[in-house]
Amino acid sequence: MASLITVKDVLKVFRSGEKTIHALDQISFEVDEGSFVSIVGPSGCGKSTLLKIISGLLASNSGTIRVNNHQVDRPLENVGMVFQSPVLLKWRSVLGNIMLPVEFAKLDRDRHLETARSLIQLVGLQGFEEMYPFELSGGMQQRVSLCRSLVTDPQILLMDEPFGALDAMTRDELDLELLRIWEERKKTVLFVTHNIQEAVFLSDYVVVMSARPGRLLKKLRIDLVRPRTLEMLSSSQFGEYTLQIRGMLTSASKIPDAAIGSTT
Amino acid sequence: MKSSVKNIAEPLVFFAVLLLLWEFLVRMTDVPDFILPPPRDLYTAFTENLYVITIHSVVTFAEAVGGFALSFILGVGFAISVVYSRHLQNTIYPLIVILYAMPKSALAPLMVIWIGYGMFSKMSIAFLVAFFPIVVNTVVGLKEVEPELLDLARINRASQFDIFTKIRLPNSLPYLFAGVKVALILSVTGAIVAEFVAANQGLGYLIMQALYSLDTALTLVILFILALLSLGLFMAVQVLQRKIAPWSSEVRQVEGSF
Ligand SMILES: Nc1ncnc2c1ncn2[C@@H]1O[C@H](COP(=O)(O)OP(=O)(O)OP(=O)(O)O)[C@@H](O)[C@H]1O
Ligand SMILES: [Mg+2]
Repeated sequence: MASLITVKDVLKVFRSGEKTIHALDQISFEVDEGSFVSIVGPSGCGKSTLLKIISGLLASNSGTIRVNNHQVDRPLENVGMVFQSPVLLKWRSVLGNIMLPVEFAKLDRDRHLETARSLIQLVGLQGFEEMYPFELSGGMQQRVSLCRSLVTDPQILLMDEPFGALDAMTRDELDLELLRIWEERKKTVLFVTHNIQEAVFLSDYVVVMSARPGRLLKKLRIDLVRPRTLEMLSSSQFGEYTLQIRGMLTSASKIPDAAIGSTT
Repeated sequence: MKSSVKNIAEPLVFFAVLLLLWEFLVRMTDVPDFILPPPRDLYTAFTENLYVITIHSVVTFAEAVGGFALSFILGVGFAISVVYSRHLQNTIYPLIVILYAMPKSALAPLMVIWIGYGMFSKMSIAFLVAFFPIVVNTVVGLKEVEPELLDLARINRASQFDIFTKIRLPNSLPYLFAGVKVALILSVTGAIVAEFVAANQGLGYLIMQALYSLDTALTLVILFILALLSLGLFMAVQVLQRKIAPWSSEVRQVEGSF
């Protein structure tokens, strides 16, 4: 498979007044078209920053991002984004929220209305089209947010801990739904999480990052058969993967800060 | 059902008891009428002066609402320009803050000199006190947008116009309504204070007249009328908010508490 996203030597330093924060250090990896890649790492290691740089919303200090063999120097057009919180417009119905990107991008309304309705069907929200966000549970709101990210039929889905605020059961449910959508709609997904199990369960590859400054520890291939089922969570192979990742993260955090690189 | 009856009955009983207590206290202590008249006197003062009270209420109402309307139009317009222009933010906004720190009612005598004796000088005070809460709330409402929404807008190549009409403006509504409620109450206060300074009509003027003749009962009646006037304006805004922005959390909270 061809590589769709190429991250090369990306470095990011935040400067706010006197303080400088070294967020990302020489990150390089590739994401194949149609693959599901998760990024795990300790809190504050720069996962969100990396996703923002890949989307073109944030500039890196050095290094390059290439998508479809074009260098990214402005916000990408063919991405959908899902955030940790649903960030829905309180004043719009479910359908109105899902149609927001279509209105922003001035795309054909009628054609996308159809897409929106089929997405609503896909995530099981039929009958809720005219409801407002405050009438929905957290899980339903995140489903709406998922539909909104898909309505323009983007090639790439960037998801930043999308189910992190949900309870474990709802998260499992949405993970399965996401996999179904991904297989059906042939998306390339970059999925940030700090839940190792979730990363292994969903992904073809897991990108493991160290604590700040975020470095790539390993891009681990997950060879579990698809479609994935919740029973796999208790398989020994699954356990080995999660153990391996956990090991990488803990051994990386044992190295004193100075050895990883000064943060000043 | 049961609790809603109770919610109406309870305050009614409470106020009835309060009135009885008042009447009882006045009789017991033999306090002179010009200090604290019994509730009966208030009723007579009200019915005897109904016509005068109505006429002066209309004046004060017009001054307050006129001043408020001006502050609404200019305040919202100003807030939008401040949010979109760094120059205004650096120049006029600090000036407004200084003006805000000034006690506006102290400007009332000056306004009489500048604008005159009539309703417009009262309106100008009502405008001045109402302007600031409108501006501040609208500015905050326009600015406090979740950054992720703006990311979403950028990814989808949203126009500035779309970002304004589809995100910022509706986002500011709950803040704006909160500002409007404060501004309305303040504009009534502003009009009254301005009438104290110099006027020949309005409820503020009427209070001064009543006090000259030690008519405490009429003064108290007018105070209650003023409370009702403010309350009525407040409720009207509440109704409007439920119609325009039923999703704003404040409204939901109010509904949930009944
Ligand atoms: N706009 C910014 N200005 C200054 N520092 C920032 C900014 N954005 C992020 N940082 C810093 O960069 C580092 C990485 O932040 P980032 O949000 O990418 O971490 P994360 O891995 O997503 O963490 P979490 O798992 O908690 O979401 C943090 O130390 C953060 O304080
Ligand atoms: Mg993050």
